Amino acid sequence: MSALAAQQQALLDALLAWPKDNAIEKIAIGASKTGARGLKAYQSNGHALAERALKAAYPVVTQLLGAQSLGALARAFWHAQPPRCGDLAQWGDGLPAFLAASAQLAQEPYLADVARVEWALHTIASAADQAADPASFVLLMTQDPAELRLVLAPGCQVLASAWPVASLMSAHLNGRPSLAEAGQRLRPAVAETALVWRAGLRPAVREARAGEAAFLAAVLAGQALAQALNSAPALDFNDWLAPAVQTQLLLGVVRFEPTGKMPDHDTPTH
Amino acid sequence: MLESSPGLSVPDRTWVGLGWRQPHYEAVLAQRPPLAFLEVHSENFFAQGGAALAVLTQARAHYPVSLHGVGLSLGSAVGLDGWHLDQLAALVQRIDPVRVSDHASFARGRSVAAPGAIVHAADLLPIPFNAESLDVLCANVQQVQDRLQRRFMVENLSSYVSWPAQANEPVVGEPDFLSALARRTGCALLVDVNNLYVNALNAQINGLAGDPVQHCQRWLDAITPADVAEIHLAGHCHVAADPRDEAGSAIVMDDHGSRVCAEVWQIYQHALRRFGPVPTLIEWDTDIPPLAVLLDEIAKAQALIAGLKGGAT
Repeated sequence: MSALAAQQQALLDALLAWPKDNAIEKIAIGASKTGARGLKAYQSNGHALAERALKAAYPVVTQLLGAQSLGALARAFWHAQPPRCGDLAQWGDGLPAFLAASAQLAQEPYLADVARVEWALHTIASAADQAADPASFVLLMTQDPAELRLVLAPGCQVLASAWPVASLMSAHLNGRPSLAEAGQRLRPAVAETALVWRAGLRPAVREARAGEAAFLAAVLAGQALAQALNSAPALDFNDWLAPAVQTQLLLGVVRFEPTGKMPDHDTPTH
Repeated sequence: MLESSPGLSVPDRTWVGLGWRQPHYEAVLAQRPPLAFLEVHSENFFAQGGAALAVLTQARAHYPVSLHGVGLSLGSAVGLDGWHLDQLAALVQRIDPVRVSDHASFARGRSVAAPGAIVHAADLLPIPFNAESLDVLCANVQQVQDRLQRRFMVENLSSYVSWPAQANEPVVGEPDFLSALARRTGCALLVDVNNLYVNALNAQINGLAGDPVQHCQRWLDAITPADVAEIHLAGHCHVAADPRDEAGSAIVMDDHGSRVCAEVWQIYQHALRRFGPVPTLIEWDTDIPPLAVLLDEIAKAQALIAGLKGGAT
């Protein structure tokens, strides 16, 4: 290792390892009066960034834990799993597993699944844009479902949980259901599957309706509409269709290419 | 007589831009104040799509945009992050910025806790001013310029720790170090005048004799005018000593949380006299005030440029 690399690794270790009282001695830059205070300033800045980043990505976990506990969690997580890249918005993907493994949070077992849904919402906020193609829906009237494939909103995901994660998310983000109603679903551990997608530029979440999780999983796997419907007999497609278009969950319809590779980004055609 | 500025393209109406942060996204797009450019943190727009990118694209229709990064870690001995450079290249391609910059700092290195892993401290950590560090910085800046196919700008830091010179190592001053970087790579320098003053004030706390303003002016005098492509102005804060803490020395922090102080305006005027009119940015990142306050600071900078003998209008 070069002298420069060794110097840099020592400073990074002093900042990112669990806080040490003697960190300043380790990096031999404490000769000046302000050196020790400066190192503390860098450490404090890291902790502040950690808290800000987690609050931005996990607003519901923040509400559930309270701001003070979230701050302590952010500091612990910062040192346990420091950022790996220079875009802080990418940091925090490991929080659900970190929460699940936390002995201190064992009494709040639903938190990890709420965090999984929040991270999905966080990541789809920056997913590639995709325009809706309303004219393509005419294909549903004229073509065999075996020859069609649905185009879903950017970042669409279904996340199954043993906890009422969709109700908890909705209660905290938009007040429907109420926190009391979400809490009533929490006590008996009502399992819910959350559906997340981006409605235009706005990330959205709701509970998946009957059969919808299996249906969307099949669509996301690239299956033809007929195949997807077969895998989700509980779904009333006619009942699902209009709200899915209105909420921008469903953007369009394309012809199914059974042997073709799935494109990275669908381009609806008609 | 004024020495000429390298003058990357800016509108004639003004030389001064705004560090555009989220609280003012809506107001700037609605009011469209006369600004030379908007400067944003590149990493905030590392996205394939979504609301943030849509806002920046909208702004680009009305203003030149300068992309100012905080995470490239140009001084890192372990090299650059290819993913980060890919994201920046995609953003440059999309926005066609008037300038692109980052700092003479490092944050990226190998993890001690997890051997083989890379960590990033998400901060602007100082690099030593020596030959090895210059070689690393030059190689990384050259890699960025090769990838972006454009001249890059590198900013001087405010730093709160400093590396002691190694034995048998010649002492290199920061302006000489940055000038060598510019000479070897052809990159431009982004001179943060407030950072100079913060460093000078902390040096004074550490016993450096002399007037901090004069230290900054001498720093500027050691820079070749043709290397300077942008100037940053911001506020800082004085943190008092904490007598209960052994490590609680007084310190001056570059918090970008207040108006530009009188001494920094004075140093800025010295910079303008030496460099000529240079695109200038007002930065404010902490306790961000109403847009009118920032526009007032911008007007002050613009007035100083306009007041130069033969200066731009």
